[in-house]
Amino acid sequence: MSRPTLSWKRAAGGLVLASLLAVGCESPPVVPTADVRQSTRTARIDGHLVVNSRARGNVVVFLYDANRPPPPQGTGRPITFTVVPSERVFGPALTGGSAGPFVAPFSFSLVPAGRYMLRGFIDVEDCGTEAGAYCRHPDFNPWYGVTGEPNAGDVGGAAVDPTTGRPLVLEVATNEAGQPQPLTGVTVSFSDAARVLRDRPTFQVAQGDPLMGSGPKTLRLQPLVIHDGVMDQRPDGFAVSYVDANNDGIPDDANNDGIPDLWPRVVVRKLAADGSNLLDENDLNRDGVPDVGGVDYVRADTGAVDGQPDVVVLAAGLVPDGPIAALTDEHGNPRMEGAIVPELQVVVRPQALDARVPENPVPLRELPRGRYAVVLIQPSGQTWRVPNELAPALASGLGLPAVESQAFYLEVP
Amino acid sequence: MKTLTALKRAGLLAVCLCAGEALADARLEARRHFRNGMSLIAQKQYEEGIAELEAAYAIKPHPNVLFNIARAYQDAGQPLAALDVYQRYLATNPPDAATVRPIVVALEQKLKDAEAQAAAPQQDTSALPMPPPPASVQTQQQLAALLERLERAVERAEAVPAGPAALPGLAPGGATPASGDDAASGADLGAVPYEERVVTASRRAQSSLEAPNATTVITAEDIRLSGATTLPELLRRVPGADVMALGVGSANVSLRGFNQRIANKVLVLVDGRTEYQDFLGLTIWSSIPIGLEEIERIEVIRGPGSALYGANAMLGVVNIITRAPGTGPRAQFTVTGGTGNTAAGSFVSHGASGGLRYRAAAGYSQTDKWSRDYDGGLPDITLRGPDPDLGARGARGSLSAEYTFAEGRKVGLSGGVNRFTTEIYPPGLLRNYFIDGLNAFAKGDVELGPLKLKTFWNHISSDAGPQYEPTGQRSLVTSLSSNLFNAELLFARDFELGGIHQLNVGVEGRLKRVAWGDYLGPLREQVHTAFFVQDDWRIVEPLSLVASYRVDRHPLLNLGRPGLAHSPRISALFKPLENHAFRASAASAFREPTFLESYTQLTVPVPGVNGASSLTTGNQQLRPERLTAFELGWRGEFPELGIDLDVAAYQNTVRDLIGLSAVRRLPPGQSYDPGTGSFLLGTSSFVNEDAIYTARGAEAGITLAPVDGLGLKLSASLQDITSDRESADECGPCNQAPQFRLYGGLTYRSRADLEFGVDAAYTSASTWIEREPAAADPTRIDLVSNPLRAYTVVNARVGYMAVKDTVTVALVGSHLGGAHSQHPLGNRIERRVYATLTVTP
Repeated sequence: MSRPTLSWKRAAGGLVLASLLAVGCESPPVVPTADVRQSTRTARIDGHLVVNSRARGNVVVFLYDANRPPPPQGTGRPITFTVVPSERVFGPALTGGSAGPFVAPFSFSLVPAGRYMLRGFIDVEDCGTEAGAYCRHPDFNPWYGVTGEPNAGDVGGAAVDPTTGRPLVLEVATNEAGQPQPLTGVTVSFSDAARVLRDRPTFQVAQGDPLMGSGPKTLRLQPLVIHDGVMDQRPDGFAVSYVDANNDGIPDDANNDGIPDLWPRVVVRKLAADGSNLLDENDLNRDGVPDVGGVDYVRADTGAVDGQPDVVVLAAGLVPDGPIAALTDEHGNPRMEGAIVPELQVVVRPQALDARVPENPVPLRELPRGRYAVVLIQPSGQTWRVPNELAPALASGLGLPAVESQAFYLEVP
Repeated sequence: MKTLTALKRAGLLAVCLCAGEALADARLEARRHFRNGMSLIAQKQYEEGIAELEAAYAIKPHPNVLFNIARAYQDAGQPLAALDVYQRYLATNPPDAATVRPIVVALEQKLKDAEAQAAAPQQDTSALPMPPPPASVQTQQQLAALLERLERAVERAEAVPAGPAALPGLAPGGATPASGDDAASGADLGAVPYEERVVTASRRAQSSLEAPNATTVITAEDIRLSGATTLPELLRRVPGADVMALGVGSANVSLRGFNQRIANKVLVLVDGRTEYQDFLGLTIWSSIPIGLEEIERIEVIRGPGSALYGANAMLGVVNIITRAPGTGPRAQFTVTGGTGNTAAGSFVSHGASGGLRYRAAAGYSQTDKWSRDYDGGLPDITLRGPDPDLGARGARGSLSAEYTFAEGRKVGLSGGVNRFTTEIYPPGLLRNYFIDGLNAFAKGDVELGPLKLKTFWNHISSDAGPQYEPTGQRSLVTSLSSNLFNAELLFARDFELGGIHQLNVGVEGRLKRVAWGDYLGPLREQVHTAFFVQDDWRIVEPLSLVASYRVDRHPLLNLGRPGLAHSPRISALFKPLENHAFRASAASAFREPTFLESYTQLTVPVPGVNGASSLTTGNQQLRPERLTAFELGWRGEFPELGIDLDVAAYQNTVRDLIGLSAVRRLPPGQSYDPGTGSFLLGTSSFVNEDAIYTARGAEAGITLAPVDGLGLKLSASLQDITSDRESADECGPCNQAPQFRLYGGLTYRSRADLEFGVDAAYTSASTWIEREPAAADPTRIDLVSNPLRAYTVVNARVGYMAVKDTVTVALVGSHLGGAHSQHPLGNRIERRVYATLTVTP
């Protein structure tokens, strides 16, 4: 049978030509899907933990926005955290008493451009050797306010300037194309010198009346021991001390009112309107940034709203008499090392402030109605807040011990 | 467009459309010629009738057509021509050869006598040349039996235009296809030429008109003319099929709604062997060790199939039937190249020697993704997997052999392997995974008359994990291995008891072993057994009943202990007119929990929070997903017009859907997971939903081959899904199912040289509700509503046969309708163009 070889050649030639024209060698285009994560530009921060400590336990590192530093400098909450298991940090020395140094890598993924601070602690698991010491078990749990901070015996750490010892501000910068660039080689140091001395300032309000009147209201705070389930807080009183930010040995008086500034600090923060939760007003997503479209109150100075969501706090502070008495020695000199007092009195004035810019709180014309939480902040950065998840209405559902006093809130009727 | 260019193109189109003798849907067109030919023969217009039969045979050879041509010649008094065609018929080795040979002998004798008479002095030749009387009593008996069987065949034959005579003889043995799932060559080899035959609906060969379910058949010719390069693309033409491509090698296919990432409610079989992967509950289409060129046809059962196939045949069954060994070309090479770095090549060879027949095939294919989610070199994302650009790659080989000892006694052995790389899109918080491994099978079948023993082993082993992971985050890349051993014994028998019964009985045993690293924990093993029975009872001529029942024993179905799943089905078929069947059926079906749903203990990192994970847990007390279905259908065929119609209306009630629960907080003391060194945000477990979903819909399809050269396929489906508990806005299955789909396909095939095909599939808009970590707080998991716009998939193919029956070149364009996505988390699908060369030396 004769075959049309001409057609065959034409076809083959055509096919080769078509193939050459058709075959594309370019990589597929990059097209983000509806997954919101693909539309964000992020980088990462990674480096090493350097641990000089005999303590053993998992190492928890927090990433903070440098503009919203954590207590005691501010009231910021961590943006994210990572955990480096003790096995990875201490390796074969996990069961020994070596103080190291031990080095382990850590990483924060998907970090947007910005300025950050790193803090952390070793969630210690050991039994103290001193008389009266008791065994501490890892008790950090990031999902609850009442378990989300270090306790006595834990070892603190941070990314610090090695020469000054001050916390470092780390910047994730962008390149010309706007793409954040990774920040690598960051060191977060932990040392026994930064061992946490005390438990958190757990307290209960001795007075039962939560209503805020037209005049100042005084709250009596008493230390609260909680040793139940996952909770193990055993304060022996409140640690009070003078504020000495410049370390000159002289108590600071930032507002020049003639009364030295004291630790702990007190914040009375307005809660969200939904009485069933503990969220702060205008921070429903718990990111520490006032929610867009949040509630805006009339300012006292302009008589108008400023168009920005407010971070409402009430003017409050310690009644200084008791702490100062405890902080003064028999010669009338300040005890700069601090003291323990069995009770604190907090005075809350009927003045609301918008603390969206903490350094420059703006008075509001009226007291916003609603519930307010009371927060104590120690110089170590440890805090305690009432109401919290130990309130009976919440605790049972969360698997936490119920403590009636932890349901207290201040109410502006 | 310039006028000159437009005129040139129009002229080219006109030339093409007028070129030569054209064919459309070959089966319909051949059937039209056959029907018309038989009608003319019945009216004693032998010459015209024989020409029509010859035309039918030329379009699509069928031995029974030869028999009818021979009979027509014989009746027309042309014994020489009749003898020639009878001999051609015998050369096809028909089952009734012993019956036909005496006719041939008689004809030869007649011709000899005629020659002798011609040599002798002139005699009276006025009598019509009739076949001589049978040579013996035995031959007479054989012919009597033949006539009786012919009458039965004629009863099932397609309508003949009004005429005085019945069909003058259909081949009695009719090459009745072997019953069973593997009757690969059953299509168009039935007693009635060009009748569409299916084997999946009843596990035996039958006319589509007799199938108890709505059935769609995609033929090898459909596949070739479509230019499709993947199996899911072909399924868009099935009314009610929901094909959702997320990646170039990753598609999810469902029928009548309930599609999702990891579509798990449609059972996919290859020659009756499951390709449904139990470890995850999906079909990895790109891993199937079979090339499109090896496929004889694809049968799609649109509706529950658990009554015969057990678990996972919940919304339907897709049975891919390969070409029977020894029935294809001795060698065929195909080479494809195109955009998206697409390259493919395949080789298929068929052969036979005595009772042994084989088919061997090998192939390679690769293609890039349509789009990538992330670029390379990012500071925050690490790319995993063998190649970030690669969408699918596979190197496969298969061998299938069959040895026939005697009629009804044969042994089949086959095996295949595919070294593949592709993508899958798991549920929940997980995103696109690569899967890079090996899929293999071995299959052995023994047929001893009414008994069949079918065994197979499926194996898949691979590395798998997210294609993109945040740098510094714990990786989820793992390896898995799955082995499935299956044995099935089938028995088929016909008997008469108040009508004709066709009984099928089967027992089945299956062992599953899955090892899947951190996802499932230790090696998981399950043993399943099943029994089924089906009776097709033809009570009186227009009415028949098909009753099926299957019981499956599953090791966990009774709250974690062995339990039974019952799947009954009853169908009534009413055929008041020839070629028209009305169908009413009620059935129950189920999907068993997958290994992932039963056993997983997977800690999924929370994106951007390196110290946190979310725990996904399996649940061994899950109930199976259940479906109760009611369906009314009509299938009508108009052979003379070249039209097939298929209409179905259904109501599916789905209970106990398995899904992930909301993330629940763990007790504080259980939050830390030492295995991953992370705090568990909470746990999400697989649970049975309380909601009951009701899907109601209608499907209509029409296939036309009205004139030579033109083939049309049109189908439309409407559906609406509601929930008894969830509002319309909150109901995932309700919003995710497109309410309207439309398919239209046009083919034009010139016998001489040119082929054209274009099809378009429209899918209406939908809304997908997916889990995502909140942007502001990744530790909070939100249900995010993602609208998906309507889209149309347009594919086209132009083929040119450069050397008749030897060399074909083709140019294929896929997704010509423009860029779109078929799922909010899937690729943006782009146009692609391929060139293909097929050589059949």
